[in-house]
Amino acid sequence: MTGPEARVTSQDRPDAPPDPESGSPLWKPAADTGSHTGRRGASGAETAPDAQGEVLVKVTDLVKHFPIRGGLLGISRLGAVRAVDGVSFDVRRGETLGLGGESGCGKTTLGKVILRLLPPTSGDVSIKDRPIFGLSGSKMKAVREDMQVVFQDPYASLNPRMTVGEIVGEGPLVHGLKNRVKREELVRELLGKVGLNQSHIHRYPHEFSGGQRQRIGIARALALNPDFIVCDEPVSALDVSIQSQVLNLLDDLQRELGLTYLFIAHNLAVVEHISDRVGVMYLGKIVELADVDTLYRDARHPYTVALLSAVPEPDPRRRRKRLVLRGDVPSPVNPPSGCRFHTRCWLREQLGNPENCVTDEPELRTISPGQQAACHWSEKITPEGVQSAAEHQPPVALAEAAAD
Amino acid sequence: MTTPQAGQLLELRDLRTHFYTQDGTVRAVDGVTFEIRDGQTLGVVGESGCGKSITAMSVLRLIERPGRVVGGQVLLRGKDLMEYSDTEMRDVRGNQISMIFQEPMTSLNPVYTCGDQIAEAVELHEAVNRRQAWARAVEMLAQVGIPEPARRAKQFPHQMSGGMRQRVMIAMALSTNPELLIADEPTTALDVTIQAQILELMKALRERNKMAIMLITHDLGVIAEMADEVVVMYGGKVMERADAMTIFERPHNPYTKGLLASIPRLGEKRERLEVIQGVVPNPLNLPTGCLFKRRCPYAMPVCDTAPPVRQVAPGHVSRCWLTPAGEPPRIGEDAPPELAEESAQELTVMAR
Repeated sequence: MTGPEARVTSQDRPDAPPDPESGSPLWKPAADTGSHTGRRGASGAETAPDAQGEVLVKVTDLVKHFPIRGGLLGISRLGAVRAVDGVSFDVRRGETLGLGGESGCGKTTLGKVILRLLPPTSGDVSIKDRPIFGLSGSKMKAVREDMQVVFQDPYASLNPRMTVGEIVGEGPLVHGLKNRVKREELVRELLGKVGLNQSHIHRYPHEFSGGQRQRIGIARALALNPDFIVCDEPVSALDVSIQSQVLNLLDDLQRELGLTYLFIAHNLAVVEHISDRVGVMYLGKIVELADVDTLYRDARHPYTVALLSAVPEPDPRRRRKRLVLRGDVPSPVNPPSGCRFHTRCWLREQLGNPENCVTDEPELRTISPGQQAACHWSEKITPEGVQSAAEHQPPVALAEAAAD
Repeated sequence: MTTPQAGQLLELRDLRTHFYTQDGTVRAVDGVTFEIRDGQTLGVVGESGCGKSITAMSVLRLIERPGRVVGGQVLLRGKDLMEYSDTEMRDVRGNQISMIFQEPMTSLNPVYTCGDQIAEAVELHEAVNRRQAWARAVEMLAQVGIPEPARRAKQFPHQMSGGMRQRVMIAMALSTNPELLIADEPTTALDVTIQAQILELMKALRERNKMAIMLITHDLGVIAEMADEVVVMYGGKVMERADAMTIFERPHNPYTKGLLASIPRLGEKRERLEVIQGVVPNPLNLPTGCLFKRRCPYAMPVCDTAPPVRQVAPGHVSRCWLTPAGEPPRIGEDAPPELAEESAQELTVMAR
């Protein structure tokens, strides 16, 4: 979008108040506003973008390992936590790509590496066809206008010593909006946009509730008028009645501003609600990636099936036998060979423990249009099979108790 | 003196726990009444700050300054725990009532092994020697589904995963075979697949030990999965109480309705979620009358007066001015006569 040289300085910023409809920050050049309008038109349709949609963010074979150091001087490499281990996907303009999985699966690390908040081990990320990992500091700064983040914990992610105005206005200040009056005007507009009282601009974070703080975090992410926002568990810390307010706000903003989200969350019902497409991660890999309706109706990876089965539904009539995975997620320092899920896989058990699950790592392959899964035996998943797997599990605890 | 009904395990009568802070009095629990029968699972649901955890702590008399139980009774088999001496109370904790907490890492002692911590609980409550207590600890770990219990008993909490730690907590709580288990957000810190394991475990143990569970959570899914009866709390008060099926299918209280409508559900993709407007009121500055009135789509002038607890159906009560049929109250009949001067029109629902 705007390179550093193209960015507007305070002198040539148009003095006329912005078109209230445009939703574009005050200090962006008119041409830019135009592009936003066009984008809004493109994504204004309420249907999910089709498979041919323009790719906004491209992630290619991304790897992030955290070395474990030890030894006498603490410099010898003992191994690595393979937090993200070869992940590729596209995020299309105007869509919400949900990313689900349990804690430790690497979803947050993935989000941070995509934003270059963490350096990658290998792989590529490009936004608008521009690879970001090789960029110099000043060029990267320009790219950051396009990609922003909303963090999980609204208590820890806002500086308690800064006022709301300073927090939300910091990005624009760093990116060249030096005029205090203009900046305050912009912040007020943003606060209005996220449903906060504009007169609260001089308050401090502790004066707000959790939901309001998360709105401040969202206003901060919007301040540079980004195309792409990584939302990392944005509602997990909030109460249920506040969660829905924030989810609706994210929805409205997406529609109004044509935003593209990467929405990371462990709550699969929330992911389903907000997403157009969903990726499920397990031990640093994407095991399934599909359109939201397909994934939730007809999952093709045994882990996705188990994950969905584990969610307790708020309906006492639908109490049912769940497919309960045994054991814990293996350590990402030493992931299982072949398919990483094979140590806990119910489908493998059902199929009589085929050898290739242990020896061959399954690739993410296309199962049906708009659905990819990384399982050798995807086609063997049937509703009857799932049910019988749920019913034939040994009852928990009692089996163990009988042993002594 | 009261005689407990058969099967009646725990009864809370108008329990009030207040916190006297520098900024004023917080009425964290403000007149809570409910009962738990033998073997029953009672779900206590509400958002943060509604007083659900403080209710549980009050039952076990674990409230510390500046908090104090200022009124009401907690009857365990008809005997008021509030009148017990500290020694008697210590006997109740662990023996008759056990508790498990949300965060197993902070509730386990990091410098003792898991086995030591369970054995300590056993030793305190039963006449056993150290060896027997240890053997019991290992047995308990096996019962909660921990593989290689003898080896695991020698491990420290940090060597275990979150799910394993929560199992250790449960093993400790169950080691003395309590009649009532109070579980305060037992699965909130866990992943869904691990949550499913723990819930299955709790169900199996409930079945075998015939114990009652008071399950405190904000997760309506967990409530639907586990609870026989449900208490919905808001601002320190019980807003609605009924069996689980009724709460989920025919809720009466607008707060319960709002809560149920606002959660995204698996397999039901909606364009927009219903929301409860506004935020939970500041506990230092609660509204007069109905606590929910500022967020309530049914709010009417009569809501400035504290609402009655109405019986909607047998076993189903709701703290709301709406009649059991969900209609606005008629002056003089359903509403106090002193409100009669207000025009009848004003009393009609201002549904938004």
